[in-house]
Amino acid sequence: MFNHNPATRRDFLKTASAATLAALAGSAPRLAAAAAKIDQAPAAKADTLIVLWMGGGMAHTETFDPKRYVEFKKGMKAHDVLSTFPSIPTVVDQIKFSQGLENVAKVMDRGLLIRTQQGANLGKILHSRHQFHWHTGYEPPVTVAAPHLGAWIARVRGPNNPAIPAFIDVNQPYEGNGEAEELKAFQTAGFLGSEFGPFRVPRPDQAVATVRPPAGMSVERFRRRQEAYQKLVLASPAVQQASDFQRESLLRSIDNTNRLLNSPAAKAFDLSLEPKEVYDRYNTGHFGRGCLLARRLTEAGARYIEVSTEYVPFLGWDTHDNGHTRAADMKRQIDAPIAQLVLDLEQRGLLNRTLIVLASEFSRDVLMEGKPEAKVEDQVSQPAVINELKYFGMHRHFTSAGCVLMFGGGAQRGLLYGRTAEERPCTAIENPVSITDLHATIYQLMGISPRYHLEIEQRPFYVTKDGKGQPIKALMA
Amino acid sequence: MLHTKPKLKSGTEAQLPRLRFGLVTILLGGLFLASNACAESPRIPPAATRQVDFHREVLPLLARHCARCHSSGKHEGELAIDSRQKLLAGGGSGPAVVVGHSDKSLLIELVSGGDPDRIMPSEGRRLTAEEIGILRAWIDQGVVWENGLALSAYPTARWEPRSVELPPAAAAAPVTDNPLDRLLPPYLAKQGVKVDGVVSNRVYARRVYEDLVGLPPRAADIEALEKDTRPDKRTLLVRRLLDNGQQNARQQYAIHWLTFWNDALRNDNRGPGYIDGGRKQISVWLRQSLEQNKPYDQFVRELIAPSPASEGFVKGIVWRGVVNASQKPEMQAAQNVSQVFLGINLKCASCHDSFVSEWKLDDAYGLAGVFANAPPEVHRCDSPVNRVIEPRFLYSKLGKVDPKAPLAERRKQLAAALTSKEDGRLARTIVNRLWARLLGRGLIEPVDAMDNPPWNADILDYLATDLVEHGYDLKHTLELIATSRAYQLPSVGAPSATEKDYVFRGPLVKRLAAEQFIDAVSAAILWKTDPPNATAGQSGASAGSPNGASSNSVETSPDFSKVGPRAALADADNLARALGRPSREQVVTSREPAATTLQVLELTNGTTLDNLLKRGAEQLVPKPAAVTDQTAVNQLIEQIYLRTLARRPLPNEIEIARGLTGTPATREGVQDLVWSLIMLPEFQLVQ
Repeated sequence: MFNHNPATRRDFLKTASAATLAALAGSAPRLAAAAAKIDQAPAAKADTLIVLWMGGGMAHTETFDPKRYVEFKKGMKAHDVLSTFPSIPTVVDQIKFSQGLENVAKVMDRGLLIRTQQGANLGKILHSRHQFHWHTGYEPPVTVAAPHLGAWIARVRGPNNPAIPAFIDVNQPYEGNGEAEELKAFQTAGFLGSEFGPFRVPRPDQAVATVRPPAGMSVERFRRRQEAYQKLVLASPAVQQASDFQRESLLRSIDNTNRLLNSPAAKAFDLSLEPKEVYDRYNTGHFGRGCLLARRLTEAGARYIEVSTEYVPFLGWDTHDNGHTRAADMKRQIDAPIAQLVLDLEQRGLLNRTLIVLASEFSRDVLMEGKPEAKVEDQVSQPAVINELKYFGMHRHFTSAGCVLMFGGGAQRGLLYGRTAEERPCTAIENPVSITDLHATIYQLMGISPRYHLEIEQRPFYVTKDGKGQPIKALMA
Repeated sequence: MLHTKPKLKSGTEAQLPRLRFGLVTILLGGLFLASNACAESPRIPPAATRQVDFHREVLPLLARHCARCHSSGKHEGELAIDSRQKLLAGGGSGPAVVVGHSDKSLLIELVSGGDPDRIMPSEGRRLTAEEIGILRAWIDQGVVWENGLALSAYPTARWEPRSVELPPAAAAAPVTDNPLDRLLPPYLAKQGVKVDGVVSNRVYARRVYEDLVGLPPRAADIEALEKDTRPDKRTLLVRRLLDNGQQNARQQYAIHWLTFWNDALRNDNRGPGYIDGGRKQISVWLRQSLEQNKPYDQFVRELIAPSPASEGFVKGIVWRGVVNASQKPEMQAAQNVSQVFLGINLKCASCHDSFVSEWKLDDAYGLAGVFANAPPEVHRCDSPVNRVIEPRFLYSKLGKVDPKAPLAERRKQLAAALTSKEDGRLARTIVNRLWARLLGRGLIEPVDAMDNPPWNADILDYLATDLVEHGYDLKHTLELIATSRAYQLPSVGAPSATEKDYVFRGPLVKRLAAEQFIDAVSAAILWKTDPPNATAGQSGASAGSPNGASSNSVETSPDFSKVGPRAALADADNLARALGRPSREQVVTSREPAATTLQVLELTNGTTLDNLLKRGAEQLVPKPAAVTDQTAVNQLIEQIYLRTLARRPLPNEIEIARGLTGTPATREGVQDLVWSLIMLPEFQLVQ
């Protein structure tokens, strides 16, 4: 049962059998046999998925879909505001970016850009509801606890390296966050059960603590505790009693935990092991260091990693004011680390089998809240005439078009997909992409049928909404 | 599998699902059989002109209208249609269908009512023209049938209560007053199950303490039970734990059952929806109701026809913005009321007629209408269908809802119908839940699918009727179960492989729920114990008198006076969440039964538990390096064992423990010993 050899790599997969046993006891979801027969798994083009989450609503016209540049002038009309930055070229001829994304511009030939992701019509905007939709594929509320994209991938594909948790969630702390409860609602394995839930790394700098003994406990003391524990299990009179699945699952889980904590792979969580010049290239803030962590975890064999810019109401990409200034700062945070992540994975020969997806729950516009055909109540006052810089920027929530980047892992290279209007509102006018179809594409590349489903409460529940997701062929290499 | 009883059993594979949408159809056409069916007549409705879906459209029709008399061993008119082959073979009047020719198929002739003496179905309503059109298209399109799939009727349970006559006590059986002890033996005999005697006092005490009040027994409590010589001492202990006359006992009972009801009624201090006022707590009402041991019928009435204090449950979670029609607050109320109180799943039917049960879209909308100011327009799969259903209860025989009455009145009428003494389902559903809580598995599984058959109808129906006869007193039912021989049998480790094969042999081993685990740790190391000054290195625990047990007589056990703040009342922290406390956004009626790696990781290096253990170690070793000599260290270890596992350590356990505590004992060493003990299966599992 216990194995002290840290080099023995086992086995998050082992816990699948614990889950199977758990299923026998009642409530767990189960695989519909038809899913295996009929929804044939497509050949996987990627073994790892990294989601770079632009939490809070990243304005497309200020980032990857620049429009006519309009400079700030006192007395300008709000509806004349378009892009507040000049555009810059990228290595792909037909693709231009907004200023401040020069590094990503240089690697655009390694990936594709979608400019027409469309959000759902959820009425009065609450970020976390749209984030719920993006991450689960279902619009909240849902009658059963919908699993997160990462949990599905963990459930279906299992860990890539048994010593690394299959679903790792980086840089979204809950403490002090006004929408923490709403975030928790989708950062979960839902009905799949906690075995497939997120391994949470609230801050990349403290990642190593999640795979170390508790703070203040030496490795030696920790080892002594584990050894004594194992002896006590055997010495306990209860051990004589008949074995049962509860006991098995507990001891197996303890076994797995020890493996994780003692595995050489756990070093992947330790950013201090990175050479300083490399660390510095990523070191633009929590998100940048999160990208570095994602790279290290990918090398170690992670399956799903999400790195968030961190969603906090009114902070980060949630630019309700000072949109121009804050967009500049956000671009500074994301530009270098994203490009470096792509290059580092490529240099290590990992980009081919690693899919990177950058997305946000929706975009922003200076005036329009919602989308032209489904406007919703304004949530921020924006004067019609702008006299102060703080009113210059994309302050309202726009769900009609938004940008998604995909690199590596079977995604087309150097492709531009979808087109938006040149004038406000810059809505999708060609090849709109629903989140359902975007997910179908992601699942397909990860080797999972968009119709894959499990049975819960006597009914099928699909990875894409009602099994209706259609992979977008043009996006796949 | 244990959790669902398949409606459509596969002949080849036990796990074949009941539902498969959008199947690649298996066209098996081209098989022509001689027909004696009549030619097409104008009375027969036309075939649907589209491709029909076997699973979504045809199977529900066959399951609802034909299966009861023509499948699963029933073959009225010598016709069984469990499989395609049987259907084609036909019955006494020849083949039921002619592949590719619905106009020549007897089935269509009969359901169309061509022969007034032989209209099918012979019971229940006639098929509509649209439904006949679907069957015709299906026949014309080749009688697609999923390979290996066996048709059976949707299970439906009766609503009426049933009184159960107790069999005479078997001569050999031990004499008890508990009626369950007379109901179980015939079942065991029939199944050929031989059971051992009842569990020890130690195991029994742990079970009833954890199951009834959610707290571990102290060593003194176990000793008191062991020393008690009265023959009915276990019953007396259960009564003391459930004693509503004792303030401490009723409070601890209420806090423990808050967890169960908070999960079921999705009530919490925090959670999605509170952010913009779309949700309301019922915590104060709930705790008071449990402390008062409010009769269950009244409890349910107050939730369905609520006061401001209890309205949170039917109010639901009102999300800001637009929601799917099947998640409107009134539909949430319909789903949750039927799931929690009746074990009926209306979630499928709130979007379309269910493919897995008898429930229809209109049933869901009828019930939802009771909770709405105006009846909501019926939506099928989120699209309006230009129809409004008058508010009504799922089962009209129990009582009517006046569609014209104002909202509050309609809710009252519904509450009255649902809690009518004629509603056997209400009582069956709750006694099944209580049985499942105490024995680890319901008489019916899943506990939310009360149309499934029980493994023993007599026990279920007896408990249900008995609850009603005892004024819906849940504590009465708990006492009955907790003092039954079934409950006192040794636990069974692994559940059976399949639901069909389930045989009751004893309770399942249960894992402590998050709240129970945290309370048990707190009780072991934080909450004060008797005597309060018996700290390590000073008086210690004298031999033969664990923890001052000698001062505890039966009358002072249980003693809840030292219980500290309990986890059920706290907000969910990382630890509680990791251990399975749900977010309570959906109704939860059973928690994950097994440990997982992420949970153990939280227990191993999470800061919440680590801090708790640090505080505990400081209390156990008030002065660093005070416990210096070997004897004192041994006493300290013994005390920790008594407080954590309610027993003394064996000699080899002391040996191993000393390796951790060190001599002299350090706080760190003591903390590590406590950690090791609370990670033992012996601590985390209730045998």
